[in-house]
Amino acid sequence: MKRIALLALVALAACKPAATPAGPGAGGPPPDLLYQMRAEAPAGDRLTAGRDGAALFSNRCGFCHLRGGMGTNLLTKQRVAVGEPPEKGLLANRTDLTADYVKSVARMGKGAMPRQTKVDVTDAELDSVAHYLGKAGK
Amino acid sequence: MKLTLPQRLSPTQFAAALKAFEAVVGKDWVMASDADRDAYSDIYAPGSEEEWPASAAVAPASADEVQAIVRLANEYKTPLWPVSRGKNLGYGANAPRMPGSIVLDLGRMNKVLELDPVLGYCVIEPGVGFFDLYDHIKREKAPLWMSVPGNAWGSVLGNALDHGIGYTPYGLHARNICGMEVVLPDGDMIRTNMGAMANNKAAHLFPFGFGPSWDQMFTQSNMGIVTKAGMWLMPAPASVLGLSLSIPKAEDIGWVIDTLAPLKISGVIDQSIFVPSWLGKVVLMGQRKDFWDKPGAIPESRVDEILKEHKLGYWHMGIRLYGDESVNKAKAEIIKKAFAAHISTPFEEEWWHPGDPIVSVDPTMGVPSAVALQMGDWVGGRGAHMGFSPVVPASSAHVMDQLKRSRKIIADHDVDFYASFTMGGRFCNNINMLMYDRDNPEQVANMRKLFDALVRDAAANGYGEYRTHLGWMDQVANTFDFNNHAQRRLNERVKDALDPNGILAPGKQGVWPAAYRDQANKEQRA
Repeated sequence: MKRIALLALVALAACKPAATPAGPGAGGPPPDLLYQMRAEAPAGDRLTAGRDGAALFSNRCGFCHLRGGMGTNLLTKQRVAVGEPPEKGLLANRTDLTADYVKSVARMGKGAMPRQTKVDVTDAELDSVAHYLGKAGK
Repeated sequence: MKLTLPQRLSPTQFAAALKAFEAVVGKDWVMASDADRDAYSDIYAPGSEEEWPASAAVAPASADEVQAIVRLANEYKTPLWPVSRGKNLGYGANAPRMPGSIVLDLGRMNKVLELDPVLGYCVIEPGVGFFDLYDHIKREKAPLWMSVPGNAWGSVLGNALDHGIGYTPYGLHARNICGMEVVLPDGDMIRTNMGAMANNKAAHLFPFGFGPSWDQMFTQSNMGIVTKAGMWLMPAPASVLGLSLSIPKAEDIGWVIDTLAPLKISGVIDQSIFVPSWLGKVVLMGQRKDFWDKPGAIPESRVDEILKEHKLGYWHMGIRLYGDESVNKAKAEIIKKAFAAHISTPFEEEWWHPGDPIVSVDPTMGVPSAVALQMGDWVGGRGAHMGFSPVVPASSAHVMDQLKRSRKIIADHDVDFYASFTMGGRFCNNINMLMYDRDNPEQVANMRKLFDALVRDAAANGYGEYRTHLGWMDQVANTFDFNNHAQRRLNERVKDALDPNGILAPGKQGVWPAAYRDQANKEQRA
């Protein structure tokens, strides 16, 4: 099976995810390339504050920011380049993010990340996600 | 982004329209701040995002709300630009063709209404993304596989409606659509095919109806808003056999296509076969500057070195056979025999069986991923891409003809060449990925000139694009010119009959309603 995985990577221009220890300065274990299922969106009104930030992060941001995701791959490369371990490519493992920063990046985009609309993630949901990820300054 | 009002609307009329929309969907789902307009702009715009500005966005939660908004749009004369999830990246994302249009964001309509594990189909709303459907299928433990595009962040229906392609036997996504519910431009609602009969039990199974079948009329279309549709899904295969091969030289693509075509057409190979050039592999190994640190296209001599350094062929071909193991084995023998006439390198073979893990970045295995978008990092800066995508017959004469011309034009514009051919039947979608830094005005200007040249040249030689960015919709529509643009004349006659106020997606695919026909790009519309 591993071979199919690798060949598929090559075939789809998705070979060597940035987190694979290949480039200069890279190190640590390769990321888990298996599909990681997102959490279900927590029940409740999308416009109401106080829903579970961890589940919302997984459900609304998990397209790219779980293991093996595009955002994780690019961020892993960036974190490794500044001397951090590859695991810091996962936003959930970061301790230096503030809630305001998370909200700003989600709404304004950053590098390859497009801006998120309020249909993608409502203000109330983004508050929960930012509270969950924004471990700095708490 | 500053407010660009819908054409011919005063600020008061615009405000009144938004107020009316709020009464339908609630205040929070009418979005009209500068930040909202930014969020509904083309993240990969080749030039200023303000060339394709939305004035606002409105997000209904149901087909009833869609109908109500469409009726109000007729009353207030506000043009709407429907998007399913708005992730049509490289083709305009969620931005409208006509400045000032109001984006109708269907992302909240994200219910999987039916999933039939035996007959292999689902009925879904437009806001259902590939990840949503994948997770739903897994949670239901349904023995079904999806076909996913390279970027699977978007909507299943939105992608199929825009003629998106995937890499499994169900890779022609528009062909998987069966039975739609559509809100027409006057707010009326129809169901197509057998679904035109109330409570019909085969609405999403029989691909026609009684009388004319309208499904394809609502793809790449501004004739209606699809509020739900049936999509056929592939039965989960008992095994998958991967046969992979590096193809050494650029010119080898001719015999590769001639070898694959009969296998594909006869059904030995079921999937849509993806054959990308080397840059498709290298683009994600790092950034361009890691491989070539000068401006301008990477020279051929350096390309040869890169291929040697990384042990790559010019092309890579990964065939997948899906189904019973004994059938896959027999098919593999036929394929190997066909290729042995041209190349001595053996295929690398690998089997997958149920229970084996599936990597998240492999669309041939029906798993959604957005990792293909990593190519945005290749050029540095705010990387973006556009795809020039002519359809060519699946034969070496045509493939080589198109390849040579597009390669020369791309080289003449000093841009890296990154081509792929996806054989979906008797044809290939020849996608040429053009990557650029949005913050470099010279690169953007060059890219636009290059795109113009590619469209003109392909049409002059008998090849047309299957899909294009907002900025080239008029130009590409103009290349479909048989009998003094008879197709456009028909499209616009139908458009005017169904949409007399021209409120639905004016300019989509170069089809303009009478009310806004003056907004077409005059230089690009003969």
